[in-house]
Amino acid sequence: MSVKELNISPVGRVEGDLDVKVYIDNGKVTRAHTQAAMFRGFEKIMAGKDPQSGLVVTPRICGICGGSHLYCASSALDTAWGTKLTPNALLLRAIGQASETLQSIPRWFYAIFATDLANKKYADKPLYKEVVKRWSAYVGETFQIGLTASGLPVQIYALFGGQWPHSSYMVPGGVMCAPTLKDITRAHAILAQFKNDWLEPVWLGCSIERYMEIKTWDDMLAWVEENESQRNSDLGLLIRAGIEFGLDKFGQGVGKFLATGTYLHKDMYNNPTIEGRNDALISSSGFFDGENYHVFDHMKISEHVKHSWYDNQKDGLHPWDEPLPTPMKSQTLHETDFDNQYSWAKSPRYDGHAAEAGPLARAIMNANPANKDHQIQDPLFGDIIKKLGPSVFTRVLARVHEAPRIYTFIEKWLSEIDLDGEFYVKPVEKDGKGFGATEAARGALAHWIEIENGVIKNYQVMAPTTWNVGPQDGNDNPGPIETALLGTEIEDPSDPVEVGIVARSFDSCLVCTVHAHDAHSGVELSRFKL
Amino acid sequence: MANVLWLQGGACSGNTMSFLNAEEPTVVELITDFGLNILWHPTTGLQIGDQVQDLLKDILAGKVQMDILVYEGSLIQGPNNTGTMNYFADRPMMDWIKELSEVAGYVVAIGDCATWGGIPAVPPNPSESTGLQFHKKNKGGFLGADYVSKGGLPVINIPGCPAHPDWITQILVAISVGRIGDVQIDDYHRPKTFFTDFVQTGCTNVVNFAQKVDGGFGRRGGCLFYEVGCRGPMTRASCNNILWNRQSSKTRANHPCLGCTEPGFPHHDLKKGSVMKTMKYMGTFPKEVPEGRTKLAYYMEAGFQKIMPSNKTVQETSK
Repeated sequence: MSVKELNISPVGRVEGDLDVKVYIDNGKVTRAHTQAAMFRGFEKIMAGKDPQSGLVVTPRICGICGGSHLYCASSALDTAWGTKLTPNALLLRAIGQASETLQSIPRWFYAIFATDLANKKYADKPLYKEVVKRWSAYVGETFQIGLTASGLPVQIYALFGGQWPHSSYMVPGGVMCAPTLKDITRAHAILAQFKNDWLEPVWLGCSIERYMEIKTWDDMLAWVEENESQRNSDLGLLIRAGIEFGLDKFGQGVGKFLATGTYLHKDMYNNPTIEGRNDALISSSGFFDGENYHVFDHMKISEHVKHSWYDNQKDGLHPWDEPLPTPMKSQTLHETDFDNQYSWAKSPRYDGHAAEAGPLARAIMNANPANKDHQIQDPLFGDIIKKLGPSVFTRVLARVHEAPRIYTFIEKWLSEIDLDGEFYVKPVEKDGKGFGATEAARGALAHWIEIENGVIKNYQVMAPTTWNVGPQDGNDNPGPIETALLGTEIEDPSDPVEVGIVARSFDSCLVCTVHAHDAHSGVELSRFKL
Repeated sequence: MANVLWLQGGACSGNTMSFLNAEEPTVVELITDFGLNILWHPTTGLQIGDQVQDLLKDILAGKVQMDILVYEGSLIQGPNNTGTMNYFADRPMMDWIKELSEVAGYVVAIGDCATWGGIPAVPPNPSESTGLQFHKKNKGGFLGADYVSKGGLPVINIPGCPAHPDWITQILVAISVGRIGDVQIDDYHRPKTFFTDFVQTGCTNVVNFAQKVDGGFGRRGGCLFYEVGCRGPMTRASCNNILWNRQSSKTRANHPCLGCTEPGFPHHDLKKGSVMKTMKYMGTFPKEVPEGRTKLAYYMEAGFQKIMPSNKTVQETSK
């Protein structure tokens, strides 16, 4: 039997420019290469500029994760300058981050992921008709409801940040806004609208409280069959169709997971430090190697460039230490030699390992028995990962599982804002190094800054897509999406929807990746000038 | 009925995300009620790989009519004018745009990157980015100053970082209902209907601006022009008339206007002391004054207002 090469350019619906080359043997993928096909060089633009440039520039790296970049950019400056953060400031930042993520759940599910299940590939499945009726692009019954409702959570973001996307309302020392009672009540009302329009009637088919009683995979299966309302909800259909269509049988990935964690507790991060961050998180950080949990340490992160279009750089350096990566000549997918450089993305590694970032990584950290009282303690995905293992299905389920919890978080945090309290403490600007991180909707996001002589000397961004879509590392070990594609059955090489489904289950945002990687160059340029 | 092709170059997808927030009409209504047929869109398009390449070739061959080409993101020309830092569908994106612009009914540039280069074009402009028909304030850009589409118009610029969804949807509706003849554009090719008034028009702190009462972060009331770099008086956009996400605007949320609908954004190229700060002469006088005023007249009036003992902050109560 012959080995076929299949070039897919563009993959699409992955937010940016992702090209994939897969080798198919006997209908199965035996080798896969992901190519990030665009370079902008944002961090290079920031070198030598105002230290607060990240507040304006980094949200524009990725319009989908703009609030998450802002959360990181302000945090990185907080640790560099040693600011004070009031409980109100921490609450309003967390509400912004949570609103953006809540928006992304229906928007990603309907616009990016679920339309693939309406592909003709699944036409002979019993649930296909129902899937098409609900989730076909633009005309599907719940596609319309879900996509429209996705605009509601970011209305809350706009109340405190002025607009979404692309606000810069989180600043070192707190937030710009000082909301009044009517902003808080309005936010509560919008949140309730989101619940009434979509979350409970369309998505869950039950109350948020009932859904949150689910603790194991067996509970989840029992919940689906409990009544018609839950069985016929969009989540009920996703679970039934997901298993019927075999989404649990492919797209496994590397089986190692990384989360930088998010939502800094209002009373536990009033004096921001890098060391104090892990314990102040509500959604915990960590590295899960497939069996054991490890405490997250940003110093264990390094980047590889052997297969990236950058010259003059050693593999395995921490972001603070990376030398000037000189952009090299790139090639089209057809012309690329995959034994050498083949992507604008670099390959981040944690303690030397490729690791998957994203909602599944977060859900696994939330099941860590070592989580503290103020941290999320949810055993569900500890159980699911044991029983089902990682797959397209578990990845998607982890993403949508977050919606009810985020809803309850925003409601709680809104009620904790002290309208007569402080929102901002003006910081003293100084030189130094900083680190800020969060969980964007699609996974671990981190910024590193170095300020010298009152300007940015070094700014590094590592996005979730960098973790997931990166090429092979210095030892030729493939990245998470490359690994996840292995073994995938391609039914029709002229419509390789399976490759798209795997890529989209990671919700890659290539624009983030491209950024994350490049911008080291300008930074180092300024070092040479010293 | 209008066929729309939407492509992204050096983009963050922010304008697409903004577009997906649209109401009256929503994106779904735009398609079902206004007959907009989206041939392909990078976020929602169903076709992948060769299917997209075939569509693009059919458009170029005249087999598929493309009434509107929407472009989001900067036009990446690097390195050395090859455009290979941004491949799309197996070619440099800039090669596709050159050819597609020749067959497009209308070309609409959405967001600052597509209009004038935006943040990617800030020096040292590592990707050699530019806008479709402007580079920063200078006419020309990628397609050249003389470019007109088959419909007889130059590139229609809908700037903003991102553009407001209404600015996008209303122009698409205007084209699809045959009202394009009524769309007038200014010197920067912006539709006048959205970009004549200033951001300050409708700002809730306009009284504090007039009376020269300073505001600041984490406070209620006071104008952000004097200390934290608000550009509301110099920026043409309808942000305080057509609110963002139907709720608010930057200045209403005590966030300085960053001037993102003007071709200078990010202003002063992010140089030290320019971000969230008002650039001043001698630590006192704002270097930039409201549009249409001389510096001297503005400084005299501001000085007079500053010493008026009756000028108190106009602010909202917390509860």
